[in-house]
Amino acid sequence: MEHFFRHEFGRLVAVLTRSLGVRRLDLVEDVVQAALVQALETWARRGVPDDPAGWLYRTARNLAIDALRRERTHARALPHLADGGEREAPPEARFADEIGDEPLRLLFVICHEAVPDGSRVAFALRTLCGFSTAEIARGLLTTEANVQKRVERARDRLRDLDVDFASPAAPQLRARLDAVLAVIYLLFCQGCHATHADVPIRRDLCDEARRLAGMLAGHPAGDAPAVRALLALMCFHAARFDARVALDGGLVLFEQQDRSAWNWGDVREGMAWLARSAAGDELTRYHVEAGIAWEHCRAATFADTDWGRIAELYDVLDRIAPSPVHALNRAVAEAHRHGPQAGLDRLAAVAPEDVPARYPGWHAVVGELNFRLGRYSVAEGAWREALRWTSASADREFLRRRLDDCRRVPGLADDRERPRRSRRNDGAARRNTDSSG
Amino acid sequence: MPKFLLIFRHSTDPRSRPSPEEMQALGGQWYAWMQKFSASILPGGDGLKPDGRLVRSGVVTDGPYVEAKEFVASFSLIRADDYDAAVAIARECPGDNVIEVRELAGYALPNRGSWWSTSSATSSAGSSPS
Repeated sequence: MEHFFRHEFGRLVAVLTRSLGVRRLDLVEDVVQAALVQALETWARRGVPDDPAGWLYRTARNLAIDALRRERTHARALPHLADGGEREAPPEARFADEIGDEPLRLLFVICHEAVPDGSRVAFALRTLCGFSTAEIARGLLTTEANVQKRVERARDRLRDLDVDFASPAAPQLRARLDAVLAVIYLLFCQGCHATHADVPIRRDLCDEARRLAGMLAGHPAGDAPAVRALLALMCFHAARFDARVALDGGLVLFEQQDRSAWNWGDVREGMAWLARSAAGDELTRYHVEAGIAWEHCRAATFADTDWGRIAELYDVLDRIAPSPVHALNRAVAEAHRHGPQAGLDRLAAVAPEDVPARYPGWHAVVGELNFRLGRYSVAEGAWREALRWTSASADREFLRRRLDDCRRVPGLADDRERPRRSRRNDGAARRNTDSSG
Repeated sequence: MPKFLLIFRHSTDPRSRPSPEEMQALGGQWYAWMQKFSASILPGGDGLKPDGRLVRSGVVTDGPYVEAKEFVASFSLIRADDYDAAVAIARECPGDNVIEVRELAGYALPNRGSWWSTSSATSSAGSSPS
């Protein structure tokens, strides 16, 4: 079963953490890891047992009891585990607004206000999704040391607080739901920024985000329109994943994607979530972003895209969640509708202090729009600036190719002589027109 | 046919621990290895729990394992024509292991176990008259 070990790691960490407390997370991770090692040794020799999940649980639980006994601190924590006996039936009686699913419960705990935003995602990936530090570093485009630091920080904060893991009551759940959604959204966005070498792991991030959101939507605590909107958004983006990656691993420009390669099952699922997200009077950024993604999926060809509608939605989005990136996307929609100059006019309207100078996407779009207007030296300058702030290899490759395009037309300001744009292209400019962030 | 003991050593460095995803992949590879050489692998191999005891001159300690960079994690008994054949099997083991390959000396052949007791009984019987 795909990702069985990884998913079981997360589930077991959540289940045992519930028994032993967030304080004992180190011990919990150690025994779960040890249980997986035992499974590896045993199953290879004897074959996989009938109930592998149950086998892993019993093994991890026994290892935890052994470890606690060794520590002689079992007096306090042991009864929790020993009570279970051979039966691992979850307690029957449960308050209606209590979280029954341990991984979800842990997710809500991770989103405690005391845990810094940056740590939440890394920590969720480590404990809930079962990724190693190295895998997370690859996924979040950072160093292992950085991931380690973030995970430690989250762990320290939770340990200090000794968060009540038992059952955050309903009002607290509602209050924390926004933070939970933000973590899932961030997880998904990280996965969407695909670059050559690390496509598989990043796809995993997206799958994890969808898995967590799916769990959330199936639970009373996550029974909210925003959750469904986020799911719709993720489905629409996921539908285009396969078409985004070329055979050699490079990225395919949105305009040139083979729409028949889109996953229409995902699109249909997204439509169903979008329809169900319309309940209530709450309009979240996820609703609007899902709407934008839907517009892209809806167009039969790139030329059919309703840029007017997309521009409107970006306006709404910018009101709900003001961001220069939204203004940028609004400008791109404008450029598609009324030409490159209209797009540049939009960008010029952004106050200088609001221009995200270190955001490569901004400069990439400025470069592209100027290039289309035949202002090659302006384009070249913008793309150089973009390159300065770009680290992903596929993005750098794209920008270098565009810079070469500029150099190939010295002194030419004639559109007819413009070099043909390379067949394949990368998402540096394109990406910013996606709502994936 | 000679028998060989394969001793698998793992690193104690927590950073070298495989991730769950890698472990699942390893499990499949181990299973495939066991299947491929099922004719050569003898029953009796097993994994070893990480803790243990060390008895040195009658003094018992919890084992030297903490200090070591590697610890013995598991072992297998195999049958092979010679070292080359045994090593060929070991080389196909998945994962990043250190594997010690040792040929069994064959001391534990059957029907020799009673020699010590009978011989010592004879000798003590013979010396008793003096």
